[in-house]
Amino acid sequence: MHRDDLDRFLRDDDIVPSSGFVAHVMDAVHAEAAAPPAIPFPWARALPGIVATAAAFVALIAGFVSLAIEGPASAATTTTNLANDTIVAWLVVVLLLCTVPVAVSLRFTRTLVNDD
Amino acid sequence: MSAADDERAVDRVLQGDLSAFEEIVRRWQGPIVNMAYRFCHDRGRAEEMAQEAFVKAFRGLAKWRREAAFSTWLFALAANLYRTEIRRIPPRTVGLDEIAEPADPRGTEPDLEDREQRRLVQRALRTLPPKYRDALVLFYFHGMDIVTAAQSLRLPEGTMKTRLSRGRDMLRRKLFHAPR
Repeated sequence: MHRDDLDRFLRDDDIVPSSGFVAHVMDAVHAEAAAPPAIPFPWARALPGIVATAAAFVALIAGFVSLAIEGPASAATTTTNLANDTIVAWLVVVLLLCTVPVAVSLRFTRTLVNDD
Repeated sequence: MSAADDERAVDRVLQGDLSAFEEIVRRWQGPIVNMAYRFCHDRGRAEEMAQEAFVKAFRGLAKWRREAAFSTWLFALAANLYRTEIRRIPPRTVGLDEIAEPADPRGTEPDLEDREQRRLVQRALRTLPPKYRDALVLFYFHGMDIVTAAQSLRLPEGTMKTRLSRGRDMLRRKLFHAPR
């Protein structure tokens, strides 16, 4: 094979579309046009949950950082203090985090049912 | 049909006239199917991928910002789709040493020899790493026009030139030093 042939073989490599190609494409396009628009992600409804999750995550990291700064000597005391002072708060946060998606999904389902 | 006709057809489609999209498909079916064929070398699959490209173009027609020609946008969209498809389901690749050579090339018909060599080149092309293969496919598809090929791949011209040069070297090494 000559090296010039390489260009020729790569350049001239065409086919002709089949006769029904345009009709098939237009069928698919008509189906696409008739389909209902995609449901956008409900950012407004999801935002409170996202913010709450982010806040919980930041608080968790802050807790770990403060534990690391205080060092292993005071770790036991800190753990006890955390247990005494914040465990109830954490429980509330966790319960809220569990409740929010359930409430949001229930509300979302109700809206969809009412829309139908 | 000119670039201005494309633009008018797009405007009509955006106003709800689907028949205008048929004009677009009729005009661009050849290049779009051929580009797909160069990626997969399977007529049936090429038409399926081309159909998907047209449907995707229809869906995203409002996103065409008219900074470049409609064809540039359409080719870039199609090239992107085809590359994703080929990565998802690669075409069957045969090793160069598995390809049967004519027993005596001097004794064969020129056409047959030509066809065999063409097949050999295409198979070698499919064994290249995707970034070099894609650059070569689009460069030759666009009639060896680096600027247009780079636009289709959304790459800077310099990167395109580098990929083409390395891709051609790799292809030549595979073809001219392949085990016989």
